[in-house]
Amino acid sequence: MWIVVFLLIVIALFGAPLFTVFGAFVLFAFSAINTDTSVIIISLYQIAETSMLVAIPLFIFGGYVLAESNAPKRMVALAQAMFGWMPGGLAIVTLVTCAIFTSFTGASGVTIIALGGILYPILLKEKYPERFSMGLVTASGSIGLLFPPSLPVILYGIVTQVSIDQLYLAGVIPGILFIVVLSVYSFTIGITEKVPKIRFSWKNVLKAAREAAWEIPLPFLIVGGIYGGYFTATEAAAVTAFYAFVVEVFVYRDLHIFKDVPRVIKQSMLLVGATMAILGIAFALTNYFIDQQVPQKLLEMIQSTITSQTKFLLVLNGFLLIVGMTMEMFPAILVVVPLILPIAQEYNVNPLHLGIIFLTNMEVAYLTPPFGLNLFLSSLRFRKPVFSIARSVLIFIVLEFVALLLITYIPDLSLWLVNLRTAH
Amino acid sequence: MKVLNTLDDWLNKAEGALLIVLLLMMVLLAFAQVVLRNVFSAGIVWADILLRHSVLWIGFLGGALGISNKRHINIDAFTHYMPPRMNSWFSVFTNLFGAGVCVFLTIAAVKFVENEISSGSFVYGQIPSWYAEIIIPVGFGLFVFHFIARAARNFFEETRKKEAAA
Repeated sequence: MWIVVFLLIVIALFGAPLFTVFGAFVLFAFSAINTDTSVIIISLYQIAETSMLVAIPLFIFGGYVLAESNAPKRMVALAQAMFGWMPGGLAIVTLVTCAIFTSFTGASGVTIIALGGILYPILLKEKYPERFSMGLVTASGSIGLLFPPSLPVILYGIVTQVSIDQLYLAGVIPGILFIVVLSVYSFTIGITEKVPKIRFSWKNVLKAAREAAWEIPLPFLIVGGIYGGYFTATEAAAVTAFYAFVVEVFVYRDLHIFKDVPRVIKQSMLLVGATMAILGIAFALTNYFIDQQVPQKLLEMIQSTITSQTKFLLVLNGFLLIVGMTMEMFPAILVVVPLILPIAQEYNVNPLHLGIIFLTNMEVAYLTPPFGLNLFLSSLRFRKPVFSIARSVLIFIVLEFVALLLITYIPDLSLWLVNLRTAH
Repeated sequence: MKVLNTLDDWLNKAEGALLIVLLLMMVLLAFAQVVLRNVFSAGIVWADILLRHSVLWIGFLGGALGISNKRHINIDAFTHYMPPRMNSWFSVFTNLFGAGVCVFLTIAAVKFVENEISSGSFVYGQIPSWYAEIIIPVGFGLFVFHFIARAARNFFEETRKKEAAA
């Protein structure tokens, strides 16, 4: 068994698609316990039995439509008109627009490609230091991860059977904490580097608002709808996909129905295909783990050395950092969460809290050299060596790491709002 | 070789076309459901079943297209630091590995569908379940084909480069 696992790890490092690596493992594992491999397909068929999953193609499509249109430009223009007058204003604009954008596109790196490319030249033009600007757009790439309608949160909910609405509620304070920490830093850079401020004018705000008039309601509709309990996440996805499609294709006409829409659909569905391939296999993998009581065995292994919750959380932070450096968000959620959830529960970690720790931990891991995903994306997008990108994000990693530790060791940051809601 | 490439491209076009139709149908149907539920407190009974199975179909079609477009999620942390020549040999190997794994998954899927046919279950009304499930063996079969085509492309590109260098 261990030889097979070792071989598969080597094959994975050669760059084989992860679903084939996990697929080979489940095929081997079920054969080894004399179970017919068609049980893998029975598990995979759960894809068609989970209503929540309908949200995934819809959100990914909606996100791609927004990313491919001029919506990012209009959003940046509006945010700049509103916050550009503050010290570090443009940097804060970057953080906020990236957060909103990431919540709509998931953690697929679309933010760095779509928004980073717009914001980075503006930051330089407004005389922000180059290294700071580079670090900022790279660090902002996954910052809105916890806000609705973010897909990783939905996936975590599907995998753990935890209420998605409650997860979004748990993510409010941690998500804001991340933005505040980075905003404070940007604010100080704005002052110490004497970045020139833009004068505030109502005329500019109105002009920018009029141009983005059709896009402004979307975040309010979705965020309000989900937090208010009017929509389920799936319904929010349906509204997002339909609204984004109608507005960008027929109102703004940024995307041509025959020239652009088929391409955007294909591009977005490639991501859906990649996600579903891993998801289907991950369902089978989870069933195998449960059948063979793998989490219990892992627990027995670590119980003697990891005796307290604090120790467990510390190990968890380190472990997830490694996971996040080697795996993308979706496979990490699908494969790793089912393993650690039962263990975390033994150490009295609330599944909601675990979800927030998991996602923020991934966020930090994506920035961490030498393998963090955002570093590569930025390096591709801005044609800079990975090394210089890594140097530019160092301070951001430290800040995000502090925020991560706060979120991990103060469960109330995640659970206070949830308890407040359930108390009512 | 040329036949393989042509067939590969042709299949990709068909998969793409079907994807577009399915996704647009999903967007319209899902939105119609939201309007019906919130405005008229009504709903289409079969909509949820159709939507859920569309996810399965879109997953397989997008997955098949993703093999030719190299869009499947993999660990690229290490291959990033490798010379490109080495990487294209790696990719001949990983694509053949993928083809092999998918052959076994196709066999498992055929068995699954055979069981479903003999059990005579229905997905909705009088529609047999296997109509909706047939995409699983077909999809994995497509995966096998695309992996092989991809491996062949990489292999011949590399040998051609080598000959050119010699």
